[in-house]
Parts: sequence; structure tokens; C-alpha cells
Amino acid sequence: MYSQVLTFGAAFLGSAVESVEALTIVLAVGLTRGWRSPLYGTLVALVALAVLVLLFGQLIVTRVPELTLKLIIGTLIVLFGLRWLHKAILRSAGVIAMHDENKSYQETVKELYGSPLRQDWVAFVIALKGVFLEGMEVVFIVVAVGGTSGGLHIAVAGGLLAMIVVAIIGVVVRKPLAQVPENTLKYAVGVILASIGTFWAAEGMGATWPLDLVSILGIAAIYFGASRVAVMMIRMRKPVMA
Amino acid sequence: MRFLRAAVAEVVGLFVGDWAQTAVSVGILGIGWFVLSRVHVEGIAFLIAIALASQLIYAATIEARQRARPS
Repeated sequence: MYSQVLTFGAAFLGSAVESVEALTIVLAVGLTRGWRSPLYGTLVALVALAVLVLLFGQLIVTRVPELTLKLIIGTLIVLFGLRWLHKAILRSAGVIAMHDENKSYQETVKELYGSPLRQDWVAFVIALKGVFLEGMEVVFIVVAVGGTSGGLHIAVAGGLLAMIVVAIIGVVVRKPLAQVPENTLKYAVGVILASIGTFWAAEGMGATWPLDLVSILGIAAIYFGASRVAVMMIRMRKPVMA
Repeated sequence: MRFLRAAVAEVVGLFVGDWAQTAVSVGILGIGWFVLSRVHVEGIAFLIAIALASQLIYAATIEARQRARPS
């Protein structure tokens, strides 16, 4: 049960963050150029992403031995989670700008105005590229977390539900979801993924954890504590550096 | 072609922000594997998490310092 909640939660949160970013691109294209082409682009991207999930999901679940799977995928999840956490630390400390959906929206609109010819083709490609590239992170989270925990269908459900929720909200409000605390979500997902990845990678190395999956809470506390220390250290140095 | 290149860059970018930091993380996991295969003590794997968390603090503070430096 604990493993299922963890799998669902990681897939849901990761997918929600990336879906918000993809929605901004599709909205910018749709509201500027009309809906037909960006919706086709989105559809093609979603089909391609679904094929990737099925292909890699089945491949790693059926072909790779459990311990090897935990070691390799666990390592990749650690690297992925640490990367998100690293960025979240720099954002929290004010070193790099917070992700701003309104700014992303304006940038996409500007990109569209810069290419007046073959409008439908440009709208199709921008939506396809945006959804596909943002969706690749979701594919990785779903396949890695779901495949390693043996709950691929749960991870797929979490990822899909997040996408549907974000899409419905997008259709209702028809503007970028700038109010979603994206950076906080990314921070949380970074901690969760780095913790799950460390847990599985170590299991793949042959380690045993006290209290089994409950150890993930301890690992998460270590990563969260470290990230707060890093933010504090960077903030303390800031006046000296300025 | 540009789309394919962007896709490949995106895949690599999922795991690698800074190659040195990634190498250190992989190195920590490699050393961890070496130690865990010889020392069978429950909970010793927490040391891997502590080492990775320490390198996270180091890498983040170093990058912050580099970004603050006037170019």
C-alpha cells in the first residue's frame, strides 16, 4: 500500500508540473493561431509519449532482472531527482529566476509572431515539440518509478490523472496556470525521486534497509535537510558576493 | 533533424546538468556499491544518501558562487 501511494504520488506530482508547462505552450499557440493545428500537434505528441511508455515499460518490466533494474533505474532516478533538487535550491535561494508561466506564454506567442508563413504548420510543430519534450520527463518518471516498484499501471494512472486534471483546468480558465506553485512542486518531486532512487539503487547493490520502505522517509529527511542547508549557505554568502 | 537533436539533448539533460557533478554522484554510487558488497550492515546505505546530499550542498553553493561572480 505504502509503495503504491509513493508510486502514484511521484507520478502524479511529476506529471502535474510538466503538464502545466506543456499547457502553457498549447494555450499560447491555440489562443494566438486557432485550435486545430495545436490540438493535432498535442495529440501526435501524446500518442508518441504513450508508445514510449508502453515500449519501455514492457521492456524493463519483462526483460530486466529485478536487482539490475533497481540498480540501473535507481541510479537514473537519483541523478534525475538530484538535478531537480539542485535547480530548486538555486531557485529558492534566489540565484536563478522562478519558473514563470506568464513569461513562458509570452515567449511562445512571440515565437509565433516571428514566423508568419505556413501558420498551421508552425502551430502544429510548436505544440508537438512543447508537449513531447515536456512529456519526456513524465515518461521517465512513470516508467522508472512504475517499472521498478512493480506498479507500472499505478504510475500510468497517476501520470494520466494529473494530465487530465491540468487539461480540464486549462480548458476552464483558458490562461496559463501561473498560480500553481510549480517550483514548490518541483522541489517536492526532486526530494521524492532522489529518495526513491537512492533506496532502489542501494537495494540493487544488495543493501537491506531498516523497516524496508519506511526508510525512504529517512532518506527524504536527509535530502530535504541538505537542500535547506544549501539554501541557507547561499543566502548567507549573498551580501558578501554582491 | 533539429527536433531530433533537441530530443536527444532533452534526454541527456534529464540526468546531466553539470558533467562534473554527475560524475561525482555516479562515483559516490560506485563506491557505495563496492562497500555494500563487502559490508553487510543494515542501514549502512544511509551513508550513500548522506554522501549524495553533501555533494548536493557543495555543487549548489559552488554554482551559486560562480553565477554571482561578475563575468
